[in-house]
Amino acid sequence: MGFTYRREAPLENGEKGYSWLSSTGGATQIKRLLVTILVMSAAAGFFAWYIHHSNDASPDSYAGYSFAILGTTCLILAAVLYTWRRRSAKKDAVGKLNASLQWHICFGVLGLFLLFLHSFGNFNPRTGTYALYGMIALVISGLIGRVLDRIMPYLITNEVQRALTEQGDDRIEAISQKLQSIVVHNNQSLRSFSAADKPAERDRRANVSPAPTSLVPLSGPISNALPFTSKEQRLHTPWDLAYISLEATPQEINRQSGHYRFVPDKKSELTRPGALMPGAQEQIADLRMIERAMKREQFYRYVIRYWRKFHVALALLTIGLTIWHIVYALQLLLPTLMHK
Amino acid sequence: MLKTGVRQHSNSGVLLHKTGPQVVQELHACIGCNECLLACPALAEPITIDVLNRETLGGMISASVARFARSCFQCGACVAPCPVGLHRDAMMMWLKVRLLRAGREE
Repeated sequence: MGFTYRREAPLENGEKGYSWLSSTGGATQIKRLLVTILVMSAAAGFFAWYIHHSNDASPDSYAGYSFAILGTTCLILAAVLYTWRRRSAKKDAVGKLNASLQWHICFGVLGLFLLFLHSFGNFNPRTGTYALYGMIALVISGLIGRVLDRIMPYLITNEVQRALTEQGDDRIEAISQKLQSIVVHNNQSLRSFSAADKPAERDRRANVSPAPTSLVPLSGPISNALPFTSKEQRLHTPWDLAYISLEATPQEINRQSGHYRFVPDKKSELTRPGALMPGAQEQIADLRMIERAMKREQFYRYVIRYWRKFHVALALLTIGLTIWHIVYALQLLLPTLMHK
Repeated sequence: MLKTGVRQHSNSGVLLHKTGPQVVQELHACIGCNECLLACPALAEPITIDVLNRETLGGMISASVARFARSCFQCGACVAPCPVGLHRDAMMMWLKVRLLRAGREE
């Protein structure tokens, strides 16, 4: 397809900014909202008129049955249309699924409202009350899900932008490389420091204690020549004496004692600016911050995923409760109709 | 320490974000079949896959693509229908990050 990746992303005249409150729905969403409000107002108007003009304001009145049938139809449409379109292999146009989702919300809210009117404030039968509670929980979970669908992606985006560099590369990798370079640089500095300090240490020891009580191993070829001997003359000391030192071995030094603490003197190479690259702690802190950001991202993704599963589980429970209520209602209704 | 590269939690299969270069690789692999857009419940207006891919890569983001990026709720419905196994949700996340950063720079 011939794309070239531009690491810099200029957005001179384009859209900028992202907030969870950003308007995304547009005209279609407003249309569905208006339809929902209109139908709800019409139903509420009819309900008020019926209560005012009729003596039989009960769930098993004609108005009650009408509300029940309409409400159940709305809930069936809400459940079936969206699920069917989502699972259907044939998807003919872009944006249809979004329209189905909008209708799903519209029918869900309408269904709950109509079934609430069907109750006429009578919450005595357990089956109907439980079914209504199920529907209320289902619709509320759906509405919360819609809010989560706005908030969670925004929070995820915030965490992701912490984990990526300005160019979009992995920050963990960038920090790891930086840490590695710090470690390499500091190791080299320490090595050069010890190499530079060794001759000075030797001179100091030679001045203070020229006696062979402080025979320290020397780097390079072993030389046991003394100042008063000619170059040709060599002391034939046993080879092992060259490695004997009367000074305390490192193992004998109490590591907790104060004098063991490493304090480079003022002339040390390590005090030179930039000898030891600073910032390792800051890099490690950044690394931990990114790790925490990624854990939060994972949590937000779990919320999105499991809230959807919870909504589906609640829908199945509500269907079960509604069927229970319909069976109960038919048990009361059928004998009455048969005797008529 | 978390592994770098493709962020996938081993136990649950939750795919975390992808890096810019990985998104570019996926965009190069896109065959433009449009299946991801057809399966998307967040997309409310017609957008062509070419425009979406081009604007995901870089440069100016048009109003319609920005609206789509903002409305994407990372449900992952676009992943299963892709015949080449790409993650459009990760590409949309990259677009969201670009929008967020551009907004903060102002």
